[in-house]
Amino acid sequence: MKTIIEVRGSSIQALFLIAVSIAMMVVDHRFQHLEIVRTNISLALSPVRYLVSLPATGGNWLGDWFTSHTELLNENELLKAEGRILNARLQKFEILAEENARLRNLLGSSRKIADDVIVAELLSVDQNPYSQLIEINRGSSDGVEIGHAVIDDFGIMGQVIHVNAQSATIILISDPEHAIPVQFIRSGTRSVAFGRGSTRQLELRYLPATADIKIDDELVTSGLGGRFPPDYPVATVTAITEDRVLGFVSVFAQPKARLDSSREVLVIKPRQ
Amino acid sequence: MSQLKYLVIYLTLLVALVLMILPLPDWAQIYRPNWMALVMIYWSMALPKRVGLWFAFFSGIILDTSLGTLLGQHTLALVLIIAINVNFYQRIRVLALAQQSIYVFVLLLINQVVVAWVEGFLGRSTPLLAFFGAPFIGMLIWPWVFVVLRDIRRKALLR
Repeated sequence: MKTIIEVRGSSIQALFLIAVSIAMMVVDHRFQHLEIVRTNISLALSPVRYLVSLPATGGNWLGDWFTSHTELLNENELLKAEGRILNARLQKFEILAEENARLRNLLGSSRKIADDVIVAELLSVDQNPYSQLIEINRGSSDGVEIGHAVIDDFGIMGQVIHVNAQSATIILISDPEHAIPVQFIRSGTRSVAFGRGSTRQLELRYLPATADIKIDDELVTSGLGGRFPPDYPVATVTAITEDRVLGFVSVFAQPKARLDSSREVLVIKPRQ
Repeated sequence: MSQLKYLVIYLTLLVALVLMILPLPDWAQIYRPNWMALVMIYWSMALPKRVGLWFAFFSGIILDTSLGTLLGQHTLALVLIIAINVNFYQRIRVLALAQQSIYVFVLLLINQVVVAWVEGFLGRSTPLLAFFGAPFIGMLIWPWVFVVLRDIRRKALLR
């Protein structure tokens, strides 16, 4: 049997470790001091993560290998057609971009035209199922930094919250802890879009009942707060609910980015 | 050489970690049992002198970094259930596997309460099905975890 002293010793140890855990949670939630601990442990564990994502990667590779010849030809044809269309559009855009730059010069404004991007791929690693975090295969060695915005072909996906040497963690705009400053294209009204834990819905709270908002209005980043570059598409308004008592409206919007199905993403490096 | 065989413990914990972050379809994610907790419960029951609270603490930190949760969330939960286990293991060790499973279910539920409580603080709710589902699955697989780990321990001559 254990002696009383042994039992007491283990209880004190338990209380001590519980106190340390709680202190760590508070520090981790409020400050950035524990980031270095997280980064180093993540780095040590990166082989494990790659091991885990291997079956999915292998599956994709096998799938590519067995894609039939005719399918490839068809796809090639389609891609060529799409490429032609995109090229045609691009010519227009180039002219518009030049015109835009000229006009901005005339106005004396110094807005940046384009941002640098890093192409990244998702790692097939499950994280906490209740939060909306994803992991990508680019890290600080590729120039990714905390706070960089992440987009897919359709719009803003989220931002970088942890960086390791070879990988980075991204919080999606749909996470309940995330909020993104946005602007309505049509009316110019500015607001903040909160995540709700579902990849299909964002919420804009406490807009004045007199605000000019309609269903299908487009939301873009406003660039306020300095985290997200301005004018990237964020979401489309799907529902407007009115609180008659308080005189506010809540607006629900569907994210443009394919938060749950995009595999290739772009990390935007703000230009200095 | 005598120390080398204890590497087996770390290996089983590594396998548990892999099982924790292995991609599962969305519907199955909430039923994923807490493998880390199961393996820690076994070792702290079998080798309480060697695998105790500090072990739980460091496995918890590693789990938190891998899952992207708040640093300390799973740590607190693991330390708590291992602390309970340290006081009860002598009585539990002699029980039949089915009875042990119920005890393990209670421990996993306590673990779940702590994790869900912190999630709640952060404004995320845990669905009811997920709250009871994962510990329930954990209870069902405990006998297999126990037998597999016991065989591993005997092969490795750990005592």
